[in-house]
Amino acid sequence: MKRKLIVVTALMFAMPLYAQADAVSELQADYQAKGAGPFSAAAGEALWNKPFKNAKSGKERNCTTCHTADLTQSGKHVRTGKVIEPMAPSVNPKRLTEVKKIKKWFVRNCKWTLGRECTAQEKGDLLAFLKNL
Amino acid sequence: MSNISREVKIWNLPVRLFHWVLVGCFITAWLTRDDRYLDIHVFAGYLMGGLILFRLLWGVIGGPYARFCDFAFGWREAWDYTKMVLKRCAPRFIGHNPAGSWGIYILLGLGVLVVITGLLAFGGEEGHGPLAGLLNHAQGAIAHDLHELLAWVMLGAVAVHLLGVLVESVLHRENLIASMITGYKSVPPGTVSAAGGRPVGVLMLVTIIAAGFSWFYGYLVETPEQPYRPFVGQQLPDNALWREECGACHLAFHPSLLPARSWEVMMESQSSHFGEDLFLEQDAIDEITAFLAGNAAEQALTEAAWKIDQSIPKTATPLRITETQYWIDKHREISVQVWRSPKVNGKVNCASCHLDADDGTFEDAAMRIPVEADSSSAAVFKIFQKAVRYFSFNSSPPNRLEDKG
Repeated sequence: MKRKLIVVTALMFAMPLYAQADAVSELQADYQAKGAGPFSAAAGEALWNKPFKNAKSGKERNCTTCHTADLTQSGKHVRTGKVIEPMAPSVNPKRLTEVKKIKKWFVRNCKWTLGRECTAQEKGDLLAFLKNL
Repeated sequence: MSNISREVKIWNLPVRLFHWVLVGCFITAWLTRDDRYLDIHVFAGYLMGGLILFRLLWGVIGGPYARFCDFAFGWREAWDYTKMVLKRCAPRFIGHNPAGSWGIYILLGLGVLVVITGLLAFGGEEGHGPLAGLLNHAQGAIAHDLHELLAWVMLGAVAVHLLGVLVESVLHRENLIASMITGYKSVPPGTVSAAGGRPVGVLMLVTIIAAGFSWFYGYLVETPEQPYRPFVGQQLPDNALWREECGACHLAFHPSLLPARSWEVMMESQSSHFGEDLFLEQDAIDEITAFLAGNAAEQALTEAAWKIDQSIPKTATPLRITETQYWIDKHREISVQVWRSPKVNGKVNCASCHLDADDGTFEDAAMRIPVEADSSSAAVFKIFQKAVRYFSFNSSPPNRLEDKG
């Protein structure tokens, strides 16, 4: 009985990790099928910090504009001030667990930051960088 | 006459308390007519109503000079007396003179009407108070207009009353204002005294202080995390998907803040949502649009909803709440410095000032400008609040430990 309980509890704790691994690997496999890969965390980190000049405002934007440099901390939406929960899955296990959400936010945030959608290679790199934080 | 006159109590404690607290209520209500201080305004109104009810009772059971039968003068007598005052030959009355009596009847009557129209407006526009729901928003707005008009008429009556007091004081060489404070008047021997009533006066005072304390108690025990909200509106319709999707990037603006046509256009043009591509799936778009349109401003779920809808031409489709005339009018006095302050962060974040922005109720007294909180009066208040919390039984143990440390 006790052992069963421990196993169930352990599984419950491990579940988000499985879900995360699942969602990330599913997407990366998808990107690979489109000809991208292999994916590098270093390339993802470089892209995360790379500034892009916005055509309209003339100001530079990068991912840290909203998410801030420390991904274990909360970020702040630069326009609305809305608090953004930490990106690092180690402190926020809900991150990178849903394929649908990851896709949605890639579209939204790549368009806002880079001014275009990210390529399959870029998205794979970003996931490789984020998943181990 | 003066060398044989003596000081006698004419206005006993209940009458004087009634008079001066009523004065305080009128001034307070006048100064707090802005929606931001609605809780103080409403308290002043309730107190005024209670005082007038008490005065009507005291006019029957109170002592000499306070009873209505002691100054039950007819209109003719009041008019004749006024004419005598103008001719400077009016006789002196120890209690209320005929003209002053009519001033009191008119002020009491106006007070009753102001309180009633106030309660009607409070119930119709805000949905609070004993008359909540009796009137709809449109009728509540009419009651509000009447309330303001009557308050102005009452101010005029107060001015006439003051003028009468000054003229009488000069005419009879006595200080009527001082008499209303001390209760004493210099009168000929044999004049009836209105002593007594002290226990009733003390009871009045205790009741007023207790009522004030209980009404404003929330301010004394509030914390920065949980600011006190004097009025809590009814729970508005909610939707989990709307909260999650819209609330991800900004405050989930309640549907009641824009008309349905605005929401529909906004959800259709979601690839250019204020510079962002929402990339929502069709199911989500449909569910959120239905929720937004179904609870839009036209439904008049709140006072703000009704007034926003009223303020937009039917042909206009504003895509920002800040474009609606009602919003513009309500925020006109907010300075650029406030908008620019990091605590407020522009016009997009209603919750910086509106404590109930998340609920969408936008109650009148639930508004605090964070930038103003550093004034000296606020600092004094904080010390007072800390003292109350320290002595209050409600304070949690960790707080006390911190205070001691």
